[in-house]
Amino acid sequence: MKPAFTVENLNFKYPTAKEDTIKGISFEVFEGEIFGLLGPSGAGKSTIQKILIKLLEGYRGTIKYFGRDLNSLDNSYYEEIGVGFEVPVHFSKLTALENMKFFSGFYKSRANIQELMERVGLWEYRDVKVAEFSKGMKVRLNFVRAMLNSPRVLFLDEVTNGLDPNNAKIIKDMIAEFRAKGGTVFLTTHLMNDVEQLCDRIAFCVNGRLVETSTPRDLKLKYGKREVKVEYRDNGNLKSALFPLDGIGFNEEFQTLLKFGKIETIHSGETSMEEIFIIVTGVELK
Amino acid sequence: MRGLVKLTAGELKRLARYKILAASLATSILWIILFLFISKSEAAEIAPHLIIIDVTAMSVLLIGASHHLEKQEGTLKTIIVTPLSLGQILTAKTLSSIALSIQSVAVTCAALYFIHKITFNYILLLFFILIAGASHAAIAFLLSIRSRDFTTMLALYAGYMFVFTIPSFLFNFGIIQAKFEWLLMLSPTHSSSRLIISAVSGEYDYTLVTIGALYLILLTAALFRLVVYPIFKDNAARG
Ligand SMILES: Nc1ncnc2c1ncn2[C@@H]1O[C@H](COP(=O)(O)OP(=O)(O)O)[C@@H](O)[C@H]1O
Ligand SMILES: [Mg+2]
Repeated sequence: MKPAFTVENLNFKYPTAKEDTIKGISFEVFEGEIFGLLGPSGAGKSTIQKILIKLLEGYRGTIKYFGRDLNSLDNSYYEEIGVGFEVPVHFSKLTALENMKFFSGFYKSRANIQELMERVGLWEYRDVKVAEFSKGMKVRLNFVRAMLNSPRVLFLDEVTNGLDPNNAKIIKDMIAEFRAKGGTVFLTTHLMNDVEQLCDRIAFCVNGRLVETSTPRDLKLKYGKREVKVEYRDNGNLKSALFPLDGIGFNEEFQTLLKFGKIETIHSGETSMEEIFIIVTGVELK
Repeated sequence: MRGLVKLTAGELKRLARYKILAASLATSILWIILFLFISKSEAAEIAPHLIIIDVTAMSVLLIGASHHLEKQEGTLKTIIVTPLSLGQILTAKTLSSIALSIQSVAVTCAALYFIHKITFNYILLLFFILIAGASHAAIAFLLSIRSRDFTTMLALYAGYMFVFTIPSFLFNFGIIQAKFEWLLMLSPTHSSSRLIISAVSGEYDYTLVTIGALYLILLTAALFRLVVYPIFKDNAARG
C-alpha cells in the first residue's frame, strides 16, 4: 500500500502557547484507507489536521504527501484535498446553495452539488439562509463543502458531532462509499462509534502524543477480554455464565450447557473501544 | 484571474447581502441632504473632507468589521483551503472595499453636480482614490489581524486616528501651520487627504502630490508584503 501521508517526528507549538501542543508524533496514512485519530477534547487532533492541510505553518519534523514534502507543495494541493472543519464555515446571510456554488467555483474538478445535498437531506433547504439552519444541518453542509471538489484525500474533523443517528449513518455511508471508490480519509473524533464503524486503522491521541496505532480488530484482540458469555433459561429464570475462550472446546461446563441448556444468546466478550482506550491511555474519552 | 474575478464578485454580493451597501448609501444620502442646505462655496469647501472620510475611515471600518465577522463565521479558513492564493484573497477584499468607496464618492460627486453644478477632475480623483483606498485597506488588515475582535480593532483604530488623523484635520482647518505639512505627510491619512483635496480643489503643489502618491504606493506594498501577508493566514487559521 502506498502511503498518502508519512509524518515523522512532528512537533508544533502555537506562538502563544508555553509548550509544544504536538509532541513528536509519527504515523502513516495509506492511500485508500480511513485513518482515524481518536482522543479526548484538547488532545491536539484538530491541530494535527490543520497542520496537514497547511493551515498552520512552522511545524518541526517532516510530512510527506505521496512522497513529496508538504512544504514544497503549492496551492494546487487544495485541488486534491477536501476539508471538513469542526465548526461551521458558511456565510450565514447567503443560502446553502449560494454558499456551495461559491466555494465550488474555485476548483477545477467539481462534484454534483445537487446530488450531495440530496444525499444529506439538504436539497429541499437549498434556498434557506444558513443563519436559519440548525446545528446538525450546518454539520451536514460542512460535509458537502468538503466533498465539493471530489477530493483524493478527505479530512474530516468531528464529522458526526451533533448529528442524530440517522443523519450520522448517512454521512458514514457516504464516507465508506468514498473509500470504496479509492478515496483516502483522515478523520478525527472523540466518538467511539465513528471509529468502530468506519476506520481501517486508529491512532489514540492523548496530550499531543500518539499512544497506539492499530486496526480496530487488532486492538480488540490485544486488549479485549477473551471470553464467551452465554445467557440461558433455568426454570424460567434468565441466567448467564462466562467462559474463557482458551481451551473452550474442552470446557465441560460449557459443553453441558450447549447440549442441554435453553440458550438464549451467545456472545464473545466484546470490550468496547471506549474501554480499550482507557486501558491503553489511562485517560477517559470526553 | 478567473478566481480573482469570482472572489471579488462574491465580496460585492456579500456587501449587499450583509446590508453594508445599504448603510453606505444611507451615509451618502446624509451628505446629499447636507448639500441641499448649504451654499455652493460651502459645499466646495466641505466636499473633499466627506470624500476623505469615505475613502479612509469607511474603508478601515468596513474591512475590520468584515474580517472579524468572517473569522466568526469560519469562512476565511474554508476559502484558504481552496486553490486560491492568499494574494488573490487579499486583492479581492481590497478591490471590493475600494469599489464601495467609489460608489459612495460617485453619489457625492453626482449630488455636488446636480445641486451646485460643482465639477472637478474625476479621472485624477479616481486615481487618487485607488491609491488612498489601497493604503487604507492595508492599514485596516494590519489593525484587524492585530486585534482579537471588532471592539479591540475599533480601539486600535482610535489610537491610529489620534496619532495620524486628528493632526491632519487640525492642519486642514488651519490649526497646524503649513510649514509642518512635510512632517504630516508621513501620516497615510494626511497624504491621502492631500491627494484628494488637490484633485477636488484643482490646486496642486506638484512636489507634495507626487511625493504623497509615491509614498502611499510604497507604504501599501510594504505593509501588504511584509506585515499583512505573512501573518494573515496564521491569523485566519485560529478560531
Ligand atoms: N490558536 C491556538 N493557540 C493556542 N493554543 C491553542 C490554539 N488552538 C488550540 N490550542 C490548544 O491546543 C490544544 C489542542 O487543541 P485541539 O487541537 O483543538 O484539540 P482537539 O481537536 O483534540 O480537541 C488545546 O490545549 C488547545 O487549548
Ligand atoms: Mg478538535
